[in-house]
Amino acid sequence: MSSVVSADAKATTRRGTEITAKGFRWQHAERERPAISALDVQIPAGQKVLLVGPSGAGKSTLLHALAGLLEVDESEQISGQLLIDGSDAFAREHPVGLMQQDPETQVVQSRVAEDVAFGAENLAVDPQIIRQRIPEALEAVGLGMLPMDHRTQELSGGQKQRLALAGILAMQPGLMLLDEPTANVDPEGIRPLRDAVLNAAQLSGATLIVVEHRLDAWAEHMDRVIVLEPGGGVAHDLDPQRLYDDQELRTELSQAGLWVPNYQLELTAAQTTPQEQLLEAHDLISARTASSARTQKVNLKVRAGTATVIRGENGAGKSTLALTLGGLLEPVAGELQATESLANGLGNSPFSWKAGALIARIGSVFQEPEHQFVTQSVREELAFAPLRAKASGGQELKYDAQQVDARVDSLLARLGLQHLADANPFTLSGGEKRRLSVGTVLAAAPEVLILDEPTFGQDANTWRELASLLVEQLHLGTAIIAVTHDEHLVRVLNAQEIHLSALADQAPAKTRGPVLDAPVGDSWLAKTNPLAKLGAVAAATLPLITTLDWVSALVIIVATLLVFPLAGLSPARFFKRAWPLLIAGVVAAWGIALVGQDSGEVYAQLGIFSITEGSVQGGIATGLRAFALALPCILLLVSTNPSDLGGALSQQLRVPHRFVLGALAGMRLLGLMVEEFSTLGLARRARGVGNFGTFTQRIGAKLGQCLALLVQALRRAGRLAVTMEAKGFGIGPRTWMRTATFTVKDAAVLLVGLLLGALAVGAAMMAGTYNLVWG
Amino acid sequence: MNQAVAKQRTGWRVVDIVTASVIAVASGVIFWAWSAGYGLFSLAFVAFPPASALLTGVWLFPAVLGALIIRKPGAALYCEMLAAVIEALLGSHYGLTVLISGFVQGLGAELVFAAVRYRKWNLSVSLLAGLFSGLFAGISEAYIMAYYVEYTPALKIFHVIATGISGLIVAGLLSWLATRGLAKTGALSALASRRAHLETGKLAAK
Repeated sequence: MSSVVSADAKATTRRGTEITAKGFRWQHAERERPAISALDVQIPAGQKVLLVGPSGAGKSTLLHALAGLLEVDESEQISGQLLIDGSDAFAREHPVGLMQQDPETQVVQSRVAEDVAFGAENLAVDPQIIRQRIPEALEAVGLGMLPMDHRTQELSGGQKQRLALAGILAMQPGLMLLDEPTANVDPEGIRPLRDAVLNAAQLSGATLIVVEHRLDAWAEHMDRVIVLEPGGGVAHDLDPQRLYDDQELRTELSQAGLWVPNYQLELTAAQTTPQEQLLEAHDLISARTASSARTQKVNLKVRAGTATVIRGENGAGKSTLALTLGGLLEPVAGELQATESLANGLGNSPFSWKAGALIARIGSVFQEPEHQFVTQSVREELAFAPLRAKASGGQELKYDAQQVDARVDSLLARLGLQHLADANPFTLSGGEKRRLSVGTVLAAAPEVLILDEPTFGQDANTWRELASLLVEQLHLGTAIIAVTHDEHLVRVLNAQEIHLSALADQAPAKTRGPVLDAPVGDSWLAKTNPLAKLGAVAAATLPLITTLDWVSALVIIVATLLVFPLAGLSPARFFKRAWPLLIAGVVAAWGIALVGQDSGEVYAQLGIFSITEGSVQGGIATGLRAFALALPCILLLVSTNPSDLGGALSQQLRVPHRFVLGALAGMRLLGLMVEEFSTLGLARRARGVGNFGTFTQRIGAKLGQCLALLVQALRRAGRLAVTMEAKGFGIGPRTWMRTATFTVKDAAVLLVGLLLGALAVGAAMMAGTYNLVWG
Repeated sequence: MNQAVAKQRTGWRVVDIVTASVIAVASGVIFWAWSAGYGLFSLAFVAFPPASALLTGVWLFPAVLGALIIRKPGAALYCEMLAAVIEALLGSHYGLTVLISGFVQGLGAELVFAAVRYRKWNLSVSLLAGLFSGLFAGISEAYIMAYYVEYTPALKIFHVIATGISGLIVAGLLSWLATRGLAKTGALSALASRRAHLETGKLAAK
């Protein structure tokens, strides 16, 4: 690899690649029918193609095939040809960029610059050229203002997608494939993302294929529309203008679930007749946790038979307000009162109701249907809430077994899910999952129904079904509260609107839970090689394992405290990190004092245990040792970014980069998963899984929550793996944009660690306290 | 393409690596929730600290779960090690020794899967892997890492047995049940264990 930067790197004439499919057919290993068959199409270099079709038409499969990501294990599954610039797409001779819909898994690395560089590094592009491409790529997608080490986790969904696009651009692909890039992006993020895509295509000259079911944003900017047929090839191949003009085509696509441009609603708005009041919020302030961002004060009256829509910008806390109104979060300030008519014998604060009573009164439908699935089949899922719903006073059941069966049957019919009654809920299609998740909550017939973005990302068919279901509920006298950006839905529900704005004087929302990749600052230690620090900490602390005495432990503790200024750590910040360790040390000391080997004077007798001079000394030594083992690690943690450590491990210790980067990519999801774990807890309470109950029930509920977390984690892993593979990960040797170095200073740090370890043991020997634990 | 097929059986694909990593991270989240939310448990053990060994299994399940899901050589070791790294990064009072513990615990489970040449993934093997992981953890803590140097010999033996039982139940049994539950949801569709729920275990529960 040459390190010479050629001046013409930028000026290299780039162009798109040409795509040819000749009788191409693909069948998944475990499916009976092909996803694509007899596909004949020719896409000239640089063309911008909108690829559409009903669900199951093989759009994603075709994109994955073009990206060379389909696994070929049995040759009979595939026939015909799929060529990129004349060579087999499966041979992956040309870099191809792929973006999928879930923003969280389109980003791989924890810092902006590294994420942009990731694909190019995998293609073994010269690091100097990569460093040059990064700002260009960020500029092209409108993220030029971001600092290079900005945490990717702090970006919005739309920004994450644009960042992923920058990473694709840095690979300089001749073909860019976008699989519903805007489906999970807030409306305000869609246009900047669309513009970034078009700009990227323009700058790179790459051929562009976009799969979307909302055509508004894209149609007028594309050269060509290709409509795929389920299980087949091309159904239509036409000029985008026909999406506007051709009524027959519009009807056909609309029936297939697509949102054609300028779509007109067929549904008539609900006739709402306000009835008795159910809920009242008075100066209500909500927050996810005591330390997280708060919403502004809300005053609201909810009446039966009416709809209320919560609107507002991102970060205003719309979902948080919905959770509070749903009795899932405790109000931070102000009041949320249920009227006697809703409470029906219970106290007037919904948060105080047990899960079974809550679901019979207020139902909450979460944004992600999978968060609320708690059983193994669609039928059980629908029966779950009515079997647990508690009627007046919160004691007796609302329905008997026969009534439950009747409700389930009628819901299955109403939702059109009879044929799926025994299917596992997680295996349904997106639209089916959404319908089911609304149905599971309606099953307990709550008087208030709260929905968070119910129509987000749904196709036109699911939208129509949902809207008519909700209108029906309004007419039955249910009160509906919805968080939504969807203008159509607001109109159909004939809803009153409340607008929530973000509080200006608020510090940016703090991430809850643990963070692995907090900024490390630029202290002296932060600039030291991570391996040198790791080695030093290991050398200083591991000798402590050989002995249990207070002298060696104390040496390490004192030395560590002296080094702290080098990590730029204030005493306050240090204490914040260290107090759990202090407590752990005290607990360990207590444990040994209680059960450790007794000798000398007896201080106390607790049942069969005696606390003696010997056991107390052992306890103190144990506690100090625990603290001495942990304390130097804090130094390491506050001054080291895991990505840098990973880079050094791979570059300098030759740890296989696939595992290092795979681990880092997984670790980036930690914060997200912590958030998801707490959301799952709330989502499951909203299904009637109680936090109260017997010990076994609570253990069962927690285990279920862990399993649900694993399901989400595995789904993310699958998508993340596709992203990484599409960015050329794991194909061959790679380069590193950040080159790890090992200087004299790093060697000195390592040496100090070694000396400290020796000093600690030496001091203990001199003091005569050293005692080899294996002796 | 033959090469690709051969590689698929023994080698790790990208999706295997990423899934194993994410399992380890999710375990980190569960550890975190566990230690944050289970103060009551710890209080119970203030009365008799050695009993906390009965909960050790919670720290061992990534090894068995990872292996059952990924079904590749090294999966138990990798998942447990990475889970330990995450624990260390989140700030553990064991300091860097968690890495050694992670290695030892992962090794216990890995050896069991290796003994059946990575061909069997049934309940018995799973229980055995959990048990060995627990025993390895217990032995290393009591005798090698010597965390409990002050314990009497009888307490050390109690510790080893307790971690073994805990490993058997939490890491062995629960991981096996979890793998079947996950396979049913289709979340394992890209992995070698995608049909785990259809395989019969010797002691098939339920």
